[in-house]
Amino acid sequence: MKLPHYHMIAWLLLAIACLMSLLFGAGSIGPDSALGLLMGNDDPEARFVIMELRLPRLVVGLVTGLALGVAGALLQTLTRNPLAEPGLLGVSAGSAFAVTLAILLGATTASLTTLISQLGALAGCALVIAATRMQGVGQDPVRLVLAGATLTGLLLSLSSLVMLIDQRAADEIRFWVTGSVAGRSWDQLLATLPSMILAGLIIVAVVRPLASLALGEKVAMGLGHHPGLIRLAVILAVALLVGGATALAGPLAFVGLVVPFVARGFGGADIRKTLWLCLPLGPALIVSADTVSRLLVAPSEMPLGVITAIIGAPVLMIIIRSRRIPTL
Amino acid sequence: MTAATDTKTERASSRLAPTLSPSSPPRGFWLWRFNGAQHSLLLDRRAIAVNSILAILLAFSAIASLASGSLSISVPDILLTLQGNGSTIHSFVIQELRLPRFAAGALSGAALALAGCLMQTLARNRLATPGIIGIDNAATAFAVASIVSTTISLAPSAMALAGAATATAVAFGLAGATGTRGYRFIIAGLAIGAVSGAVTQVMLSGVALDDANAAYPWTVGSLNARNPTSVIVLTVGLGIGYLLSLAVRRGLSTLQLPESVAVSLGTRPGRVRFAALALSVLMTGFAVSVAGPVGLIALLGPELARTVSRPGRIPLTASALAGALLMTLSDLAGRTLLEPLEIPVGIVTALAGSPYLLWILLRKSPDISR
Amino acid sequence: MTQLPPFVSSGQSPLAARKLAMAHGSYQVIPDLDLELPAGKVTAIVGPNGCGKSTLLNGLARIHKPRHGSVILSGKDIHRLPARDVAQKLALLPQENSAPEGLTVSDLVRFGRHPHQSWLSQWSGEDQRALDNALTAADVLDLADRPLDTLSGGQRQRAWIAMSVAQQTPLLLLDEPTSALDLGHQIEVFELIRTLSREGKTIAMVVHDIVGACRYADHIVAMNNGRIIGEGIPQHIITPELIRDLYGVYCDVIPDPGSGNPVLVNFRQNPTG
Repeated sequence: MKLPHYHMIAWLLLAIACLMSLLFGAGSIGPDSALGLLMGNDDPEARFVIMELRLPRLVVGLVTGLALGVAGALLQTLTRNPLAEPGLLGVSAGSAFAVTLAILLGATTASLTTLISQLGALAGCALVIAATRMQGVGQDPVRLVLAGATLTGLLLSLSSLVMLIDQRAADEIRFWVTGSVAGRSWDQLLATLPSMILAGLIIVAVVRPLASLALGEKVAMGLGHHPGLIRLAVILAVALLVGGATALAGPLAFVGLVVPFVARGFGGADIRKTLWLCLPLGPALIVSADTVSRLLVAPSEMPLGVITAIIGAPVLMIIIRSRRIPTL
Repeated sequence: MTAATDTKTERASSRLAPTLSPSSPPRGFWLWRFNGAQHSLLLDRRAIAVNSILAILLAFSAIASLASGSLSISVPDILLTLQGNGSTIHSFVIQELRLPRFAAGALSGAALALAGCLMQTLARNRLATPGIIGIDNAATAFAVASIVSTTISLAPSAMALAGAATATAVAFGLAGATGTRGYRFIIAGLAIGAVSGAVTQVMLSGVALDDANAAYPWTVGSLNARNPTSVIVLTVGLGIGYLLSLAVRRGLSTLQLPESVAVSLGTRPGRVRFAALALSVLMTGFAVSVAGPVGLIALLGPELARTVSRPGRIPLTASALAGALLMTLSDLAGRTLLEPLEIPVGIVTALAGSPYLLWILLRKSPDISR
Repeated sequence: MTQLPPFVSSGQSPLAARKLAMAHGSYQVIPDLDLELPAGKVTAIVGPNGCGKSTLLNGLARIHKPRHGSVILSGKDIHRLPARDVAQKLALLPQENSAPEGLTVSDLVRFGRHPHQSWLSQWSGEDQRALDNALTAADVLDLADRPLDTLSGGQRQRAWIAMSVAQQTPLLLLDEPTSALDLGHQIEVFELIRTLSREGKTIAMVVHDIVGACRYADHIVAMNNGRIIGEGIPQHIITPELIRDLYGVYCDVIPDPGSGNPVLVNFRQNPTG
């Protein structure tokens, strides 16, 4: 498959974003000493900052962006709704609430959190799919989003209640709940890897039938696919991806909206093209948003979720303002 | 029963000789003519009953909220204290703590629900309420700015009002030609709400912990952060706003019919919508400056009022009373359920109201007329 | 009623359009149109889909502002008159109507009194008389306390017409008043419109059904592409040529044995066949 030139641009963007993320940051290590280290100049302080602080952060950003971008594209194709975004539909909130409960009950180990987060995301996904199959809601993209926003609000309030009751949990949750890729350990990262790989395998297996499902359930059946099975596989993949990303970086809204939207703008509605483009674009968005969050109010940091909301809300409006909400 | 038979005979006779028909009021109304029958008022009997019941319930909830708390006070003691004959401790608790809190809650609940009722009617969509349009988040962001900033000298009330107005204007601008009708307005609000929430977070994350703690109630909606000036502003604003909304009701009621019919009946839809929207923004701004973004009161208050009111009536008074009642009960629940912990009232309303909102979204049509 | 003299412009029309141009956004629907509604008559505006007949009606009822030209209500530009004054002279009933759930017929008809009421005069003796008259005229008196959503299509349409009647305007504009009704209800509504006109109202209606228009209108305005291509009493202007120009179909026109109104028969796509 010969890749069009915008793929090159997307990957180039990602490369630049990664470089920036390593070079810039709060603290005494400026671009010059960071660049020096990359050139082979061994400065212990720079080595520590870059290898122990910025690199893990970069990798977490890469994984999170990849997962959320791809999950958004999948969910949108499955629900045939360009607004179906894990953050907006309450999938992320589902997994965040599950994690909150887990922390309240005393869970701390990274692997357990990931699993719980993914279970929460799965529950959220199941709710979304159930809602889309309800009369009237499935045909109405906006109503689904409003329902998602309501569910998110409800779960956030429940989380607030938990935080109110348990102060120790509150401190742990409050840091995590606004979304951040900072301060995550390699352990946490490794804990999410198996499920991410599993999700990748599922996607590879299911992407062709999913593309035919986009033409309608009857067409897909006519082509010899099983819509129910496809749906189940996609939900599972989305839950693994979103749950994993949420466990790492907290609930981040709008990433899964912006990335596939941009990808579709270049590559068209075909899910396979969209997914290929989401691979570089998702990480590029998160990594650069994270870099901005470090620089904007340095020396303190802005929550990453704030940046994604500020980028995402206008995109939401652009989609709504297009004359007719296109169904996918 | 006789009344019904009477109307029937009247109608039958009017059919035979329409010119001789006595001027009886339509069914379900009391007619009050005065000044030599030059002036007439038509009073909705059901509305009077509904409003009376809501007012009585509000009075009960007032007594309950004055009575309960870490120090419970018996009903006779409350009455004594209100007459000025209570013990020192009772006087202090009631007059300094609980009465102002009840007043702030009831007034802001009433203002929010009134704002919601106006906005739902003008947009013909039961979801179009200040909370969902993002107005209250924006008002909060502005109010928080005035609290954490050292350069902004405007009071939180004024800032909240400015925020509410800005958000509405932006939502309008983004909605474009479809105006307040249709979903674009609501999604624009959703986006504005998200951005405003993010900005509030930024401001809170950028300040010292002390200030951030002071600003925290603002992010969830609570009656703890109220300041006395804002409450006075709200009281005056609600009084004026209520009277003005009664004045706008006649025009607004025709907007329940198709727009061309409303025009044909002499209504100017643009003007009426603008007036109602402005009132709604005003009420929201004042309420938020007292209680923060208390979610869903603006949706649930009018919703409750509408279910018990005569079809086709715009239940302004009933909405305000229902909003006050819901707010008071929610705050009471928040104060007493997990005692000594206090749940902010915004969390209580979100927990209680979200399932209902979900039910509307998934099961009912958001169109107000269905 | 068999032979009406052809309508001659007298300058006394209660509602007229002068050099009217109407547009939807940048799309010009009506380029330049002059029209006078004959007083006390039923005027039917006919034409194919998208010919601008509903746009014309909305223009006449000042729902949409004209791009150029003006609509003259009793000698004055309608957009310069106070909204309330216009509402006391002209009523419009659009094609698609919706009302709040549970609204009764009497509630709906009371809306028609809106332009005659004020905050301090919410229900005068005049209001009551107008309500009773409207309910009687549209024959919905027995349905007065029924919610609209429990009525049949024809009953509901009569209730809406009753609302317009209660407005007590000399002018009544109706957009496809019979479009969603079966034959029986169509006749019912047409007869009601004719009765109202006999009582002195000037009525204009957009009608899809040209057969009904021929039978119940005193005056027909045939529109195509935003222009009036024929105007006059049905007997004079309804010809096979006009039908061909309007709809691109061929037919024969014969006089109704009873009323003398034109009747269209033998529709076909080709001139012969």
